[in-house]
Amino acid sequence: MSYAIFDIELTRPLPGLSLPAERTGLAVLARHAGVPVAFWLEQRGERTGVTAAELAREIASRAGVQLVARAVREELGAPAPARALPALTIAICTRDRPEGVARLLDSLAVLTKPEAGAGHVEILVVDNAPSDERTRALIDSRSEVRYVREPRPGLNFGRNRAVAEARGELLAFLDDDVVVDRHWLAGLAEAWNENPDAAAFTGLVLPLELETEAQILFERRGGFRRGFDKLRFGPELPGNPLYPGGAGIFGTGANMTFRTAALRELGGFDEALDTGAPVPGGGDLDIFYRVIRSGGPLVYEPRCLVFHLHRRELPGLRRQYRKSWGLGFMVYVSKCLRTDPERRGRLLGLIGWWFLHEAWQLVRSAVGRHALPPSMIVGELAGGVVGLLGGYGRSLRRTERIRLEHP
Amino acid sequence: MTGFARWEVLHLELRDSLPDLEPRDGLGGYRVVFWAGGVPLGHCDYPVELLPLRAPALRAAAPMAVAPVVGSHLLGRGFVAPWPVPWERQPRVAPDDLDAVLGLSSPLARLVGQLDAPDEAAPAGDVSLVVCTRDRPEALARCLASLERLDPAPGEIVVVDNSPANDATRRVTGRYPGMRYVAEPRPGLSVARNAGIRASRGAFVAFTDDDVGVPPAWIGRLRAAFRDPEVLAVTGLVLPARLDTRARLAFELGGESWGYRSVDFDERFFAATRARGVPVWRIGAGANMAFRRHVFDLVGPFDERLGAGASGCSEDSELWYRILAAGHRCRYEPTAVVFHEHRAGWDELRSQMYLYMRGHVTALLIQFTRHGHWGNLYRLFVSLPAYFARKTAGRMLGHAGPASLPLSPRVLGSLAGIVWWARYGLRR
Repeated sequence: MSYAIFDIELTRPLPGLSLPAERTGLAVLARHAGVPVAFWLEQRGERTGVTAAELAREIASRAGVQLVARAVREELGAPAPARALPALTIAICTRDRPEGVARLLDSLAVLTKPEAGAGHVEILVVDNAPSDERTRALIDSRSEVRYVREPRPGLNFGRNRAVAEARGELLAFLDDDVVVDRHWLAGLAEAWNENPDAAAFTGLVLPLELETEAQILFERRGGFRRGFDKLRFGPELPGNPLYPGGAGIFGTGANMTFRTAALRELGGFDEALDTGAPVPGGGDLDIFYRVIRSGGPLVYEPRCLVFHLHRRELPGLRRQYRKSWGLGFMVYVSKCLRTDPERRGRLLGLIGWWFLHEAWQLVRSAVGRHALPPSMIVGELAGGVVGLLGGYGRSLRRTERIRLEHP
Repeated sequence: MTGFARWEVLHLELRDSLPDLEPRDGLGGYRVVFWAGGVPLGHCDYPVELLPLRAPALRAAAPMAVAPVVGSHLLGRGFVAPWPVPWERQPRVAPDDLDAVLGLSSPLARLVGQLDAPDEAAPAGDVSLVVCTRDRPEALARCLASLERLDPAPGEIVVVDNSPANDATRRVTGRYPGMRYVAEPRPGLSVARNAGIRASRGAFVAFTDDDVGVPPAWIGRLRAAFRDPEVLAVTGLVLPARLDTRARLAFELGGESWGYRSVDFDERFFAATRARGVPVWRIGAGANMAFRRHVFDLVGPFDERLGAGASGCSEDSELWYRILAAGHRCRYEPTAVVFHEHRAGWDELRSQMYLYMRGHVTALLIQFTRHGHWGNLYRLFVSLPAYFARKTAGRMLGHAGPASLPLSPRVLGSLAGIVWWARYGLRR
């Protein structure tokens, strides 16, 4: 099972898409002058391809409103005076994945060349408790990249090391399994210009490849996509009584940027979340929650696009549903229950909503109307139950032990 | 009224520089209405929790807020608004012409140019404008002052003084030599409107109320919407003049949003919604409506059992019901925009809600007896009780905000509507 991915530019004549025989489906990313306006997946069915006319109709239907908005935006012009992006630190927290880091650095090299018009950009690789020297060796060959080692294992230990080391006014975090789009930096500059008061920025995440069943399943369930509209989140979201607790409404930790000062004021990331194998999630949800609770605002900018390499194997995906989302999410919610008593009612409502939502997904999956098999949803539910039953306390104790081991 | 903070209505021309929205003491939020050259394009609500909002962020949010409306003006098909009845299944409308969408450049300038084009700006000399009023001379004076600035001007303006207590209305009208004063001693808005129809001569009759202010282009835009000969009635957008009291805010946020795209209400709409009661109250408001004069010969004048001073309201929507039932068409045209002073006091709002529902229920029963359409009874005995049950449950769960519309006067008003109909509705 594999899908071909097409990247279509609307300012050029549309091509017809022909599907090689070995592909079981296709995914289309449509952009206008580089700005993403639509993305969709299609199973192959009887088709061997898509004609240019069919493609045009599909794009018009999905992105027509965005394209009109684009024309209006162009007519209104950019905000004046334009504010240049301040000094930016891009932190890549990684562990034993030098090939991923190399891929990401290659994509960043295109953006941060001085002739690309970027301001001062510092790239910082945080090598988190590595089991070998491959990442250090890689960075040694790249003079423009700073290398630091964080011996305490856990993604949020690594992120906090970046918070301590960063010299930029803005601090971006990119996971070692993403590649940035060529407009990522321009998108960040645009969001910064439009939201001079924002504390955090997130962006669109699309699949880097759809080569396996696991990757296609994940993307068909919505992946990390968050839409093609600019969004701005403040302390309240009218109409959402559970706000700001929901999962994934703000974006994802694979692609997030903060005002460094805001992160330092908040005390950085919670080291008992995103701890690697025991609790491989919740760290991004928690920092977004705290940014919003401290006044925000948080801005989602679809032009800040990265491509994410999804898990290739089904067992990996299954583990991700159980631990990253089920367990990680509930550990994060139970942490919020401890630390934010003012929002207890909303958080309990969120827990209730989550279990109902998962139960409904399970029902739909059982009758064959869901992309995921029931076993994965059961796994996610089980992870949630484990997380809720003292998961945060256990993680705090583990984290304390790690701190003692690495004085 | 603890905890209420006034909202401010901001009208912003998109192509000008936009302001920063700052929080202020005692400010509950901003209703921001986006315009391009006198064409309303959409609004965003910013409660104070979301402030401050700097101009660049507002400018970033505006294009998406107005895009469907800009599309409907310039590209039509594919951007057509659905009927404002979300509970009905409707075919999905989506843009299908990519070249047309990609070809848009400077859409706002084009849109303004299109509306100002000579063949679009209809003269309004064949329109008679009727304003019915009752003992509200101060409000009327403000209304007439705005009517005098209409450009193009209507052929005539008739002020109907309904069952007046004194001669204040006559004196106010007398200040405007171009306006005609007509006294109607029998009380009732429908009676007064029918008197206005009889006293006027234009091929089109437009109505507004004494608590309304209009921009100069209003009557021309209303008139232009009659280009389609099948359209017998036109309504327009009613925006709040101010949201400075809890009652006004509740009325605006708790009521129906009218939208900024035109809508055709035709025989398909009637057929699709008939089984559950045609939601004619979603077509428009009596404060901003017009008819071809021959409508009144075709389907009759306003029903004098309905409306303020009689059942309470719905004399406008009941007439639209007759027009649709006879196979004709009504059009909602939001470029014809007026500004309405909602009721300021909470008690006034409560009694207005009571009268609205009494009038609504009476109209349902009159529509049922006149046409034999059972959907009216479905609305009365199934949809409305279910709606009230949902709202009551919501209140018990604490979902009502400080700006929720009062519920009990609406329930009582509905019951009173049945009684009213039994007492007066059976007379002809």
